[in-house]
Amino acid sequence: MALLVAIVGGLVIGPTSIGTWRVVGDAFSHVGIGHSRLTSLQSFIVWQLRAPRMVMGLLAGAMLAVAGGTYQGVFRNPLADPYLLGVASGAGLGATFAIVDIGHGLSTPTWTPLLAFVGAMAAVTATWLIGGRSMRTGVGTLILAGVAVASLLTSAQTFLQQQSSAGSITRVYIWLLGSLASSTGWGPVTLVLPYVLVCIAVCVAAGRALDVMSVGEDESRSLGVPVGRIRLVVIAASSLGTAAIVSVVGLIGFVGIIVPHIVRLLVGTSYRRILPISVIFGAAFLVFADTIARTVIAPSELPLGVVTALVGAPVFVVILSLRRPVAV
Amino acid sequence: MSAVDVEDLTVTAGSKTLVSNVTLAVETGTWCTVVGPNGAGKTTLVETIAGLRRASHGSVSIEGHSLAEMNERERAHRVALVPQHPVIPSGMSVEDYVALGRVAYHGLFRPPGANDRSVIESVLERLELVEFRERDVMTLSGGERQRMVLGRALAQSTPVIVLDEPITGLDLRHQMDMLELLKSEVAQCELTVVATLHDLTLAGQFADRLVLLDHGEVKLDGAAADVIRSDELADCYGMKLRVVDVDGADVVVPVRK
Repeated sequence: MALLVAIVGGLVIGPTSIGTWRVVGDAFSHVGIGHSRLTSLQSFIVWQLRAPRMVMGLLAGAMLAVAGGTYQGVFRNPLADPYLLGVASGAGLGATFAIVDIGHGLSTPTWTPLLAFVGAMAAVTATWLIGGRSMRTGVGTLILAGVAVASLLTSAQTFLQQQSSAGSITRVYIWLLGSLASSTGWGPVTLVLPYVLVCIAVCVAAGRALDVMSVGEDESRSLGVPVGRIRLVVIAASSLGTAAIVSVVGLIGFVGIIVPHIVRLLVGTSYRRILPISVIFGAAFLVFADTIARTVIAPSELPLGVVTALVGAPVFVVILSLRRPVAV
Repeated sequence: MSAVDVEDLTVTAGSKTLVSNVTLAVETGTWCTVVGPNGAGKTTLVETIAGLRRASHGSVSIEGHSLAEMNERERAHRVALVPQHPVIPSGMSVEDYVALGRVAYHGLFRPPGANDRSVIESVLERLELVEFRERDVMTLSGGERQRMVLGRALAQSTPVIVLDEPITGLDLRHQMDMLELLKSEVAQCELTVVATLHDLTLAGQFADRLVLLDHGEVKLDGAAADVIRSDELADCYGMKLRVVDVDGADVVVPVRK
């Protein structure tokens, strides 16, 4: 229900006022029911500007939330978020590289997401190569390797940014805060859709395995779970999906850590429930936050990362105070 | 063919040898308890039998199948573990916890089937856990919790069950209850038990056979009544021990020098 409201809201609400029923009518007319009462400009605004942005919001929210929930399960750590293994800093460095135009000619809308994606995957791979070997003895080394890789790449990114022009710094800064504004037209959506759907499916399917793994490494192995392989697969899926999303929408914070916690407080500690519900909550939450981001100070926009925290933190605090906190 | 066959087993951690050249055969339906002072290598030995540690040398076989050649799932069909300090996952119900024992049967992507459900049901009943089934595992008392952990291991329906100090932290009554419960399961299901216990009196009363381990080596292996009366036992602990007969039961008493 929340998801449906968020979807319709994402399509209907905007600086240009277009009636709810006219949008719904137009949607039905596309499948051959009734007639559209939208002008071609309005139809363009709804289906080429708002709809792709809304769909990207759904994908980003769903992916970040489910990746966060998965990470929290696999690392058995409530502070884990999708950026734990260096995805964010790697993507940040890649994007900064493109935006400040180090290589000359890279500063085009195509290169930024590509380099961000390469940076994100390179960072996670480096983290895995450093900390993954000790996986049999636990995940502590992997988390620390993530911290080391992230700080190294962030310092490199800060250096690059500091060396660049004021204009570039602003653009890098805006990218780092995250925004769905670049998702105009269906190109970016179709680019990330296959990866993200597969990654979400893998994460959700891992729910039962993560439930068993809540009894720890040794005991889950004695119960018949191939812990090492499960970890590799779910970390790979979460990281790949997150990298794909981040490369297009930048670093949207808060969704990945707070949505799974809100869901956990509402439905309990089983990952079989937390993960699929996080997909829906994350999707609805991000579209809702984006609708606020692009309308409150229209025609300019609030950074999405700011809105997710501004809206999400109070909601989380209210639920936290109403419910007994449960462990991860 | 024995239920458990340990052959010339050596387990090392770094440069330290934890278990050294242990050979041990446990017959089907036997209860074998490993005793010995702290640091003797008891936990290492039983964890290796449960497949959690790799042998540096030698091998462990369950019903003639080498552990080293099994994957996790095959191993979970043959040997179950009750760990010394089980991780109790907050928020999980007792029933779901016991059901974890069936994961090796229904797999990670399917819910428990009809057969799994009936095994879980039977375990809950036998261990008197039915009234707690919906309860959060964190709300159980020590004794109830330990019964639940045993329930998970029994739900695995394995021929061999390994218990590492299963009565740690329980009061006298619950220690006795827990071991009696296990004894009746052993008789009913033809289970083979490999356990570690610190309490020599209880070890002597419940096990068919005691294996005395010290510095990673087997010092003595034999009938419980013989081992608790041996000089080797007193030597390993570095103290004087006496065995007193109380209503036909052997009680091991430490004596001040």
